[in-house]
Amino acid sequence: MNTPAKPAPPVESPTPEELLALLQRLTHVSRLATMGEMAAGIAHELNQPLTAIASYAQACDWLLARGSTDTAEIRDALQQITAQGLRAGEIIRRLRNLVRTPDTARVETDVNELIEELKGLALTDARAHNVRLTLELAPALPRIVVNRVEIQQVVLNLVRNAVEALESVPPERRDVVLRSEPGPDSNVEVAVIDSGPGVDPAIVDRLFSPFVTTKATGAGLGLAISRSIVEAHKGTLRYRPAGAGGACFVLRLPHAQGGA
Amino acid sequence: MTKDAQALVFVVDDDEAVRSSTKLLLKSVGLPAVTFASAQEFLDNYDPQQPGCVVLDVRMPLMSGLELQQLLNMRGAIIPVIFITGHGDIPMAVEAMQHGAFDFLQKPFRDQDLLDRVQKALEKDRVNRAQLREKARIRERRDSLTPREREILELMTRGKPNKVMAADLGVSQRTVEIHRARVMEKMGATSLAQLVRMVMDLDQSRDTGSSFRELAR
Repeated sequence: MNTPAKPAPPVESPTPEELLALLQRLTHVSRLATMGEMAAGIAHELNQPLTAIASYAQACDWLLARGSTDTAEIRDALQQITAQGLRAGEIIRRLRNLVRTPDTARVETDVNELIEELKGLALTDARAHNVRLTLELAPALPRIVVNRVEIQQVVLNLVRNAVEALESVPPERRDVVLRSEPGPDSNVEVAVIDSGPGVDPAIVDRLFSPFVTTKATGAGLGLAISRSIVEAHKGTLRYRPAGAGGACFVLRLPHAQGGA
Repeated sequence: MTKDAQALVFVVDDDEAVRSSTKLLLKSVGLPAVTFASAQEFLDNYDPQQPGCVVLDVRMPLMSGLELQQLLNMRGAIIPVIFITGHGDIPMAVEAMQHGAFDFLQKPFRDQDLLDRVQKALEKDRVNRAQLREKARIRERRDSLTPREREILELMTRGKPNKVMAADLGVSQRTVEIHRARVMEKMGATSLAQLVRMVMDLDQSRDTGSSFRELAR
């Protein structure tokens, strides 16, 4: 961060009651906090039918190459390939349902209000990792029309990524800024900026592609899902290096009249 | 133990599709496979005498692949285990290797990678079992020696000349010579060097005593 000498602004700890209320309100969001884990589970589940398909197909190949005339066996394997393909499709459909909710769930709202709601969870997460989380919320921003839970999922996921990116940084230099500000054309921007090492230039181009990850246990789906959520809102999610070498993710959303 | 028992590939995976597709893949290249839906099912049917190798899913409900490996290790099993891991399971794979796994593969795997590893594991199992059988044979022969013959064997492997042995045991050199010939005959050794090697192999196998017992039972 640019102000390393300044002590972290005091943050109010949410009371247990507040936290509980928050968690209840954001049941979906708490699920999102573990989006990465969930994605890892889905990746694991997808691996099963894919493994089976590859093995069945190769077995058919071998059987035919050896001149097998057991057509029943080969047909059975081919039918299994079909079934496993459908099984994989079903898993992906579930994944899609997870990130897509009908447009009717979208309401006009103020982005700062969304951030205020998830602040408690974000701060708790940051504190658990000895990270200073600073909120810089611009007043009087244009209103946006969004699925509140989905956008909160995206923001929390960005904060979680930022917090995790700071693991290699000494605790006194672990800073994350969550900022809202007006963007061009009356759009609204939410930026999550960290003081970590930044994204490896080698993977910047593929950063939002599924299964690209820098985490030992990540599935590499968090940013891919986040971006698809944002694009469904006719917004954008971009990465740029932060001034001090860290990472900066900018979420831009159209204002209420400009969107859908 | 029949020397020519057909080697089997034991596939342990909780996913039915992975299990049967792996079995068919192995079968399509002429490798007979038996499948198990859980680690427990495999253990219940486990026969230490049966040559083969295990293709084991690391991540299963109830008993994981790693737990099964530990139980097999405790039983002194020598059967090679190839672990199948999913995305992000590398720490588990490392642990499995540290505990003596033969190899590991990530899902979804290339068929050739699996087949290569299975072939190598079966070859390893074959060599291991042949060595243990040979040791069991030598041990049986040594056990057939009389107490006096065992004394002679002990002195022979320490390189004592007949004259010294005769003095040590308080018998004539001629008697030593007769015992010597009997020891060589009973042990099936054609030279002193071969005899010494046999006894050394046996002494080494004390380290793998449990594996030995498993086969020699």
